[in-house]
Amino acid sequence: MGTRWFITILYTVVFTFCYAGIHEGAQGDERDELRKEIEQLRYQVEIMQRRLMELEEKSRLLEEKAKQRETKEDPGRVTAEVVSQRKEGFAQKFIGAFNPDISVVGTFAAAYFSEDEPHGRAEADPENTGINLQEIEVAFQGSVDPYFRFDSFFSIGRDGVETEEAYATTLLSLPLNLQVRAGIMRSKFGRINLQHRELQDFVTLPLPAVSFLGEHLNPVGVEFNFLIPLPWFLELSASVNSPEVEVATFDRDENANNIGRLLYIFHLSNFFELSDALSFLMGGSFATGSNGTEPGNRSNLYGIDLFAKYRPLRNNPYQELWLQSEFIYRQAEVPRGNLDDWGAYAQLVYRFAKRWNAGFRFDFVDTGDPIKLEKEKELEMEDISGFISRQHEHGEEESILGLFGREKRYAFMLTFNPTEFSRIRLQYEISDPVFEKLSHAVFLQFQYSIGPHGAHPF
Amino acid sequence: MGIYGFVRVLAFFALISIPALDVVAKVRIVSSIPNLASIAEEIGEERVEVKSLAKGYQDPHFVDPKPSFVLELNRADLLLYNGLDLEVAWLPVLITGARNSKILPGALGHLDCSTLISNILEMPTARVDRSMGDIHPFGNPHYTLDPRNGIAIAEGIAERLKQIDPNNASFYEERLRDFQERLAAKIKEWEKRLAPYRGTEIVTYHKSWVYFSNWAGFKEVGYVEPKPGIPPSPSYVAELVGKIREMKVRLVIAEPYYPHKTPALVAKKAGASFLVLPSSVGAREGIDTYFDLFEVIVDEVVSILGRGDKNN
Repeated sequence: MGTRWFITILYTVVFTFCYAGIHEGAQGDERDELRKEIEQLRYQVEIMQRRLMELEEKSRLLEEKAKQRETKEDPGRVTAEVVSQRKEGFAQKFIGAFNPDISVVGTFAAAYFSEDEPHGRAEADPENTGINLQEIEVAFQGSVDPYFRFDSFFSIGRDGVETEEAYATTLLSLPLNLQVRAGIMRSKFGRINLQHRELQDFVTLPLPAVSFLGEHLNPVGVEFNFLIPLPWFLELSASVNSPEVEVATFDRDENANNIGRLLYIFHLSNFFELSDALSFLMGGSFATGSNGTEPGNRSNLYGIDLFAKYRPLRNNPYQELWLQSEFIYRQAEVPRGNLDDWGAYAQLVYRFAKRWNAGFRFDFVDTGDPIKLEKEKELEMEDISGFISRQHEHGEEESILGLFGREKRYAFMLTFNPTEFSRIRLQYEISDPVFEKLSHAVFLQFQYSIGPHGAHPF
Repeated sequence: MGIYGFVRVLAFFALISIPALDVVAKVRIVSSIPNLASIAEEIGEERVEVKSLAKGYQDPHFVDPKPSFVLELNRADLLLYNGLDLEVAWLPVLITGARNSKILPGALGHLDCSTLISNILEMPTARVDRSMGDIHPFGNPHYTLDPRNGIAIAEGIAERLKQIDPNNASFYEERLRDFQERLAAKIKEWEKRLAPYRGTEIVTYHKSWVYFSNWAGFKEVGYVEPKPGIPPSPSYVAELVGKIREMKVRLVIAEPYYPHKTPALVAKKAGASFLVLPSSVGAREGIDTYFDLFEVIVDEVVSILGRGDKNN
């Protein structure tokens, strides 16, 4: 290329000079001579250009022939050499370093509440009017060896660090298509309990999840996942866990030395594809364990979850619609009898452009045995002492096993994802509890993530 | 029925089950993208069963990791994938869920096809970060769009098949030779048809045609995306239109799954032609093999550039 440019420039320069010369020398003969010379020069340059192009084409063809011959003659050798020949890029240098994948996700939310002390919120939900840190999640993930991988997630808040998850997963082929996870895990109970904050579609956690699962149900345990050999995807999960969790639903029994008092969680997950575009994930969950209110008292949790996704790939590849819904029912034995609580949520999200989605959520919890509030919302400790989980009496905050009454909530959400790694979300929420007056809240959430591209589960 | 009768019945079942076993013993290949699946089909033919997870009309960067894919991978003998982080958002979670040690990294049934390619383009040599857009830190992953790479990929796949299924080694070898010869001949033919248009300046939507351009001798002078994965702003579009007009770019290319409004508008305003080109087997009806794919690409490119010649 360089030569061709040079010739073109030369050509232009010569031409310009000669042309200038014509104007200066006014003599007719000289002009004719000059013109002739220019013509000749132009002709020569043209020939040179053509030659050069021919040569370039020839050398290109030769090179390609040589390349093809190489691949044809001894392809085995070429393939072997390929690996060693490859230039080391910047990223390649880190592959051999055995570092785990490290990622950080920061979630913040500006909030406005119409009430002073908003009720019914999860730990990482915005607490009060102002700017809230929801969570900084730090994850370290990687393969341990050919048999296990290890995933750990730490949630950092203003008050300290919580180990959200830290578990090993078997990678081997085991009999009955078994996969074992062991450690601290978000339990396979429904769907929202498995979703980290950055995968959730709304700023706040749905009420049934808050009331029955806490911020998340993440006991220490061992989980067995079987892939049932059927034409469709059917996974059965069973786990045994220690019942010490943050939510009051479960707690350690006084007579803890009893296998029957541990926390057992079961989940059955079905996946159906009606077409390329429409698929359903349906599940049922059951959890049972001691709740610590009195020796031998248990809580049972029943759950149904549904996730449906419509994504027409052919016409509008970036438009999709999904519905996520769960129903949870809780039975708890307490000193004064039995509690019956239930709740559900349903959320519909429409992604209308590559970077935009909007959604609506309705969530509620209700109870057959409301805890009575007397003297203007002040809790009569004697009245409700039977409901209080033992573990949480010792802690700074008291968590109550049981509900005050029905609570409904409506949320509207609009999300803009500048890229896959950042998010701005606006949400408006109306909360309608029977034991308090109607309240409103507006959130503006910001989320940023750095680190390798994490793979999302379905 | 005495003991002999029983043995005879057993022997009978054993006999009829031998061919049945043969049928069952097909090598199960799961490919992340259809282009690799198509090459594997050419090599294995009826002795393999090939399934592609991503569809040809789908953006391979953003595939939903459906649980049904876990089932496919659970039963797979060989996993083929593009690598260079193309499938990073969806494939790792599926491999973990598959409970199949045959397809784990380092195993015989795990083939990252990018390791077969000698000439990876756009390999960053300096530090990269995401302020440059969603770039691939290991180099541009769209190498299947250079048909010459098909020869190396076929080689690698055949090599693995020979090791996984040594009984059919000679068959795979023969199929490989045949495929490579046919592809080499076709490449020559396509190159001849594209030769008059070498040096053509083009603009593409995403940086996904660099291997194709490298082969066809096209010069990519701009992209509709200002940075990989980042949609263009109006001011960038205006700038691009000016650039295309000034450089007299004749062709704007986008895959079927990218938005067409902006690139079509850019082309129209700048007086260039806009072409929706398939980049995958299965992108359209009638593109069933790796050969079909390039046949269509070359046909469309040549016809649109040829038309331009007549107009001039």
